[in-house]
Amino acid sequence: MSTPQFELANPPNDAISAIQFAPTSLRLLVASWDKHVYLYDTSNAGGQLLNSFEHRGPVLDVCFGENDEEAYTAGLDWDVRRINLTTGAQTVLSSHGAGVKSVLYDRQHNILVSGSWDSTLHIHHLSKPSDTLVKISLPNKPFSLSLTSTRLVVAMASRALHIYTLADLASDSAASSIEPWQRRESSLKFMTRAVACMPNDEGYASSSIEGRVAVEWFDPSTTSQSRKYAFKCHRQPSPEGIDVVYPVNALTFHPVHGTFASGGGDGFVALWDGVAKRRIRQYQRYTTSVSALSFSGDGKFLAVAVSPGFEDGREGVGEGTVGVFIRELGEGEAKGKGMK
Amino acid sequence: MGKAKRKHPDIEETLARPWCYYCERDFDDLKILINHQKAKHFKCERCGRRLNTAGGLSVHMTQVHKETLTIIENALPNRSGLDVEIFGMEGIPDDVAQSHNQRVLQQFAQAEAERRAATGNLGPAGGIGAAKKPKFESPSDLKKRLAEHKAKKAAEEATGISSGGNTPIGMGQGNQSPGLGQSPSNYVSHSMTLSMQFRLRSFDKAGSPGFPQQQQQMPFGGPPQNPSYSAFPQPYAQQPPPYQQPQSPFPPQQQNFAPPQTQGFGPPQQFPAQGGPGFQPPFQNGPPPQFQNGPPPFQNGPPQFQNGPPPFQNGPPTQFQNGPPPFQNGPPPQFQNGPPSFQNGSYGGSPPPPYQQNQFQPPPNHTTPQHTMPQRPGSLPPAPGLPQRPSFGAPPVNAFQMQQMHQGQLPGPPNLTDHSHNAQQQPGQNGGPGGPAGSGPPPSSLPAPLSANATSLDDLVSGAAKDADKAAGAVETKPQVPKVEEATEEKKGKKEKDKNMRLIYSDNEVSPEEKMAQMPRYAFAPSG
Repeated sequence: MSTPQFELANPPNDAISAIQFAPTSLRLLVASWDKHVYLYDTSNAGGQLLNSFEHRGPVLDVCFGENDEEAYTAGLDWDVRRINLTTGAQTVLSSHGAGVKSVLYDRQHNILVSGSWDSTLHIHHLSKPSDTLVKISLPNKPFSLSLTSTRLVVAMASRALHIYTLADLASDSAASSIEPWQRRESSLKFMTRAVACMPNDEGYASSSIEGRVAVEWFDPSTTSQSRKYAFKCHRQPSPEGIDVVYPVNALTFHPVHGTFASGGGDGFVALWDGVAKRRIRQYQRYTTSVSALSFSGDGKFLAVAVSPGFEDGREGVGEGTVGVFIRELGEGEAKGKGMK
Repeated sequence: MGKAKRKHPDIEETLARPWCYYCERDFDDLKILINHQKAKHFKCERCGRRLNTAGGLSVHMTQVHKETLTIIENALPNRSGLDVEIFGMEGIPDDVAQSHNQRVLQQFAQAEAERRAATGNLGPAGGIGAAKKPKFESPSDLKKRLAEHKAKKAAEEATGISSGGNTPIGMGQGNQSPGLGQSPSNYVSHSMTLSMQFRLRSFDKAGSPGFPQQQQQMPFGGPPQNPSYSAFPQPYAQQPPPYQQPQSPFPPQQQNFAPPQTQGFGPPQQFPAQGGPGFQPPFQNGPPPQFQNGPPPFQNGPPQFQNGPPPFQNGPPTQFQNGPPPFQNGPPPQFQNGPPSFQNGSYGGSPPPPYQQNQFQPPPNHTTPQHTMPQRPGSLPPAPGLPQRPSFGAPPVNAFQMQQMHQGQLPGPPNLTDHSHNAQQQPGQNGGPGGPAGSGPPPSSLPAPLSANATSLDDLVSGAAKDADKAAGAVETKPQVPKVEEATEEKKGKKEKDKNMRLIYSDNEVSPEEKMAQMPRYAFAPSG
């Protein structure tokens, strides 16, 4: 039986910052530090590079828009852009005052959220192109954003974390009147690396640079809050007895089973059952740091982007070390087994 | 000590206990067995995943780790193959199941005999009939043998092979597991051969020295047949592998008892002829003299051993008489008798069976009388009613296995085997040699070991689940279960600060992306 995984041909030339599957197809967007966004069709082994879109600076995030033909990108050129994937036409939606770390599209409210190192969120009301921009100030630089159907979770520097209600963001109210639904401090002691929300809208997982993942629930009641926990992962004991701790760079929830995958600087990708508190499986180690993960819309594929991370102290990127792997998940492979 | 309820398990109950094909351990119920198999035999060594079957593990290894599974972990040497698909009690080949049942029956008989000996409560039928038989050996015979024995001992010492020296070693091994490890393997083969013999005998009731007999005797054959004591040492040394396994346990015997053996056992075939006289005497005389002689246990010791084999024929009765009076002697006879009684049922005292039994069981007996006299008494009582279980905890075994593996002596798995296989025998060994060795609570511990093992196993099994909720995961579960910590990590965090760890990315303020962005080649100056 062959490996249920293949590597995309024509990978980016530099480190990968983000990947995302299209909601309804097997198209995959890859954002890279080589200033390009790549669009692949992954329905065939090896994949096919459909197009690439050059930016002025390294691209830090990318997401699909309303359909498979539309994408939004954010990058070091401070801009948030819309890209027509068919024509390649790019439109700058807004400009931040610093690099834009993340961008998210919410189909239900038809809004686009971007978070920048200038410590602001930009809320774009895509349905009303005229006066679309709402700027929300954050206490710290946002490092990672994640959406559920009703919430926006913003993980920031200094372990701060805000949870917004999407309805508030989508409303016409002024930016000043938008307050986070909850303000939290990360339950992890170290800098938050990634945050991902449960597809069932009940909670989220966050990871830190210190090989740890926390799972928490939105519900502020004590019973729900007492369920939160954190666990160590992506660490390796060295021969000297020292635990080498890798950052957990990527988190993503399975759209169907509600389990989640974590990707670490150690090159491992692990599947976890956040409810049963179990590791479902861990895949064979990749050659280098895992920088991004994405499940396909139907949950049958997992895209794994590997690229040497900055954490390795390496300045450059060697040939062939950047890659995107598409792993086909077996029936129930990502399904939790439940409490035993 | 023992649990009152469990003192007299039914033979049916005992037989019905689920047991593990791979390591011959038995369990209280099927669920535990399955858990055991998942934890011990079907666990992926790479990721700790527990599969349900060997096939499953094999597929898992190939698919997930790209490795090929060749042997089942922690299995007996001859059971580590992948060819048999085992799940719980399903899939166990008939012949293996039969030999297991055989063994269980033997052990049960042993346990019963022990129990009777210990309690002084003669079995329904056993006591009376046996009581009479034992009076065959006349006092003069006894004395004569004793003299022989002493002479032999002297000879041995002269040749530098003191039984004392050897026995300790044997004992040590037995306790620690080299011996045990060996015994299991022996045991398996024995049990197999036994079953074979049984079948053969069922056909040939004469109980003549059948093929099996010879096989079994083969290992010992050298020594026993040699009449001269001096010859003994050499055979040992010379006899390479086959001999060796049995040896550790056996050697002491032979040396000590050599004289008797030659007489009684010597040539198996001769047994019937010589054995008649040689054998039966022990029965009749055996016990009585012992009682009377009581004080000189040592002297009796040897005779009993010699008789040991014969007692088999008599079965339980002999034990009682012998057992109780001299503590030291007590245990040995019981062990030997236990099985014999069983065998006798089928064929009336045939020489071979006793012999086989001697191979594994005797060691403890022989060694004990001589060296560990004092400990015996204590050991006896506990042994009787208890179900057979290893006295060691699982962990020590593993360590041992490691050692053995390194030494190249034994396959790791045997240890586990030992427990299950020798279960009953071990009690004996523990009582005597085992106790001293400190393999754990020797005699009285028998019950304890049971519970200890059970708990350890349970812990392992249930531990996985429990650990999920607790930060401190068991080693086994570690890989599978994320360590859960209170979300408020502050407390634990402090603890962990002490622990050595190295962050690959240690800047807690500036994200990796920001640092990358500062690198010249990524620099971007907004042009407008």
